[in-house]
Amino acid sequence: MPYQWNGKQVEAPDIRGRAEAAAGELPLARLTLWPHRSLPLRGFAAAIGFLFLMGLIPLVPLIGTRLIWGILAFSLAALAALWWALQASYRRGLGEELLIWSDMLRLTRTDPGGRVRVWEAAPHWVRLELQKEGPVEHYLTLRGEGREVELGAFLTPAERSQLRDDLAFVLGRLKG
Amino acid sequence: MADAASHDHGHEDNRGFFTRWFMSTNHKDIGILYIYVAGLVGFISVAFTVYMRLELMNPGVQYMCLEGARFIASDELCTPNGHLWNVMITYHGVLMMFFVVIPALFGGFGNYFMPLQIGAPDMAFPRMNNLSFWMYVAGVGLGVASLLAPGGNGQLGSGVGWVLYPPLSTTEGGYSMDLAIFAVHVSGASSILGAINMITTFLNMRAPGMTLFKVPLFSWSIFVTAWLILLALPVLAGAITMLLTDRNFGTTFFHPGGGGDPILYQHILWFFGHPEVYIIILPGFGIISHVIGTFSRKPIFGYLPMVWALIAIGVLGFVVWAHHMYTVGMSLTQQSYFMLATMVIAVPTGVKVFSWIATMWGGSIEFKTPMLWAFGFLFLFTVGGVTGIVLSQAAIDRAYHDTYYVVAHFHYVMSLGAVFAIFAGIYFYIGKMSGRQYPEWAGKLHFWTMFIGANITFFPQHFLGRQGMPRRYIDYPEAFAYWNQISSIGAFISFASFVFFIGVMFYTLTRGQRVTEANYWNEYADTLEWTLPSPPPEHTFEQLPKQSDWDKGHAN
Repeated sequence: MPYQWNGKQVEAPDIRGRAEAAAGELPLARLTLWPHRSLPLRGFAAAIGFLFLMGLIPLVPLIGTRLIWGILAFSLAALAALWWALQASYRRGLGEELLIWSDMLRLTRTDPGGRVRVWEAAPHWVRLELQKEGPVEHYLTLRGEGREVELGAFLTPAERSQLRDDLAFVLGRLKG
Repeated sequence: MADAASHDHGHEDNRGFFTRWFMSTNHKDIGILYIYVAGLVGFISVAFTVYMRLELMNPGVQYMCLEGARFIASDELCTPNGHLWNVMITYHGVLMMFFVVIPALFGGFGNYFMPLQIGAPDMAFPRMNNLSFWMYVAGVGLGVASLLAPGGNGQLGSGVGWVLYPPLSTTEGGYSMDLAIFAVHVSGASSILGAINMITTFLNMRAPGMTLFKVPLFSWSIFVTAWLILLALPVLAGAITMLLTDRNFGTTFFHPGGGGDPILYQHILWFFGHPEVYIIILPGFGIISHVIGTFSRKPIFGYLPMVWALIAIGVLGFVVWAHHMYTVGMSLTQQSYFMLATMVIAVPTGVKVFSWIATMWGGSIEFKTPMLWAFGFLFLFTVGGVTGIVLSQAAIDRAYHDTYYVVAHFHYVMSLGAVFAIFAGIYFYIGKMSGRQYPEWAGKLHFWTMFIGANITFFPQHFLGRQGMPRRYIDYPEAFAYWNQISSIGAFISFASFVFFIGVMFYTLTRGQRVTEANYWNEYADTLEWTLPSPPPEHTFEQLPKQSDWDKGHAN
């Protein structure tokens, strides 16, 4: 499930204008969302294992000769490169993080290029909308501070519906 | 619409020319760059072959003279310049094998269409993608530098054959050979990084719902090819590094006097070399699958066996290398093993050929230009494939090794196989990539002249090989004159068709009819790239595609 609720962590951010959050309180909740990554960890292991086994084919006949060193260096480099590349691919890519205080919401979006965008609003006035049609099915948006921002456009429609219900519950509790 | 942390809908493309084309991080632009550079290098390599076939048209040496290379025969004395001939055949091979076909198919079409077909916004590592491209260009530069640098026999360039066998390559004079080694190093590194990029993208960035066995066949072909590159190129890097150290640092990996063995080089080289030819052809298989499916108005027959056939060809390709070395003195057991293993590869290849035929069977065939190229591919690749089976027989190869029979075989599978697949891809996709369509009559004319020319060039070479004419020779006995002359005429016809093709491309890209639809073929072109505008915008699939956009029920 590429989204996750967490109770604590994160030190209070540095902002102004919001009473409780400005006081340095930790957020009440932290929602992180990340896009689908189509390679499960077992697949990662299979890929590395496959490269290793096939890489043995040229190396084993050369064991005991001087020539193995010439090939070994490059084969190991290729294995290391694939490992690193798949790990990097898991780490990067876009992500969204929604921090929730009793008196402020902050949404931070990191683009694949590294660009960071931020949206902040008071939870009491924020409107949560799930549009049936939009750029994606069940388009989830938050409206506040004169802007409408999307949330989790990279999730599946079912996840967005579920997320909308989760957020409605949390925001309802904050208002109440 | 919502913004925010959201996307720039309809943002303007304010990249400057230099930024867009020299510092690209866009897989579509990088794909286009690969195709252009590969085409340019292909033209240079073809020019060499025209010169070679000019020399071979008549017995005797009339053009490659020590007194000065000529393009017009004269009555003046011509002392044969064997080195120039060797340089021509070497660089024709090096350019084609490393710098033309793979960059065009894997680097060009692979970069452009694989991310689109899996619904990814770009490759996993866009900047490394750019690095791969410019390393490829650097490799081309080094290759050209090698051609023009002081080499063997007191002349320019290295005349060692594209396979660079020692002891010829370790003793070739000058530094042209070392530049050639660096060229292959750099292009190998480019390919390895590209392969890592492709594998990571294919594994980790498929659209939700697109399990492995729902991915389109072209993307699968790129994925398998990427694995072949990742496994084969490091071994080549090792082999040529050892050539370099033998040449320059006093090692004796391949020098018997120091305890080395030149045949070990051949083993290592062909361990790379055989997968290399599958690296060349597999993306072509992928394109052909899509073209045949579209113009037969039927989904490809047997998607799952087609995928497994790609995988089987890839894996088997690693255990057959010594069929290139039947005459070096291996034992009977070794030769028998390699012969039987080689014959096994015919099985998955046959599965693919029969599946393409079964796709057309009962379909509604439309003979547009891409389909003509695909038909040509199907027939001619099969012809080349069956001469490969002949050559796989060690006893027969005893007579055919290093003759024109081998030359005919691999030119059928490569010139009339891979190159036909490239042309099929170009005519299929040029409307999508450029927004302009080619004139249908011109595409058909190009096809027929190339088909006729290439067959006239290479079919007679089977006869020459059977009659015993050796390959890589500047001259031949009078008895071989007839078929050589016919082969050369075919070469000139093919070259004329290539020049015409360049004209067609120039016309299409500047004045061709503008394309307005996303899918200008028919509803059987049903992979994701056909849902995008022609040409696609800079950013595609930043929003993940819905499963209904690409999942058509039949795994296609």
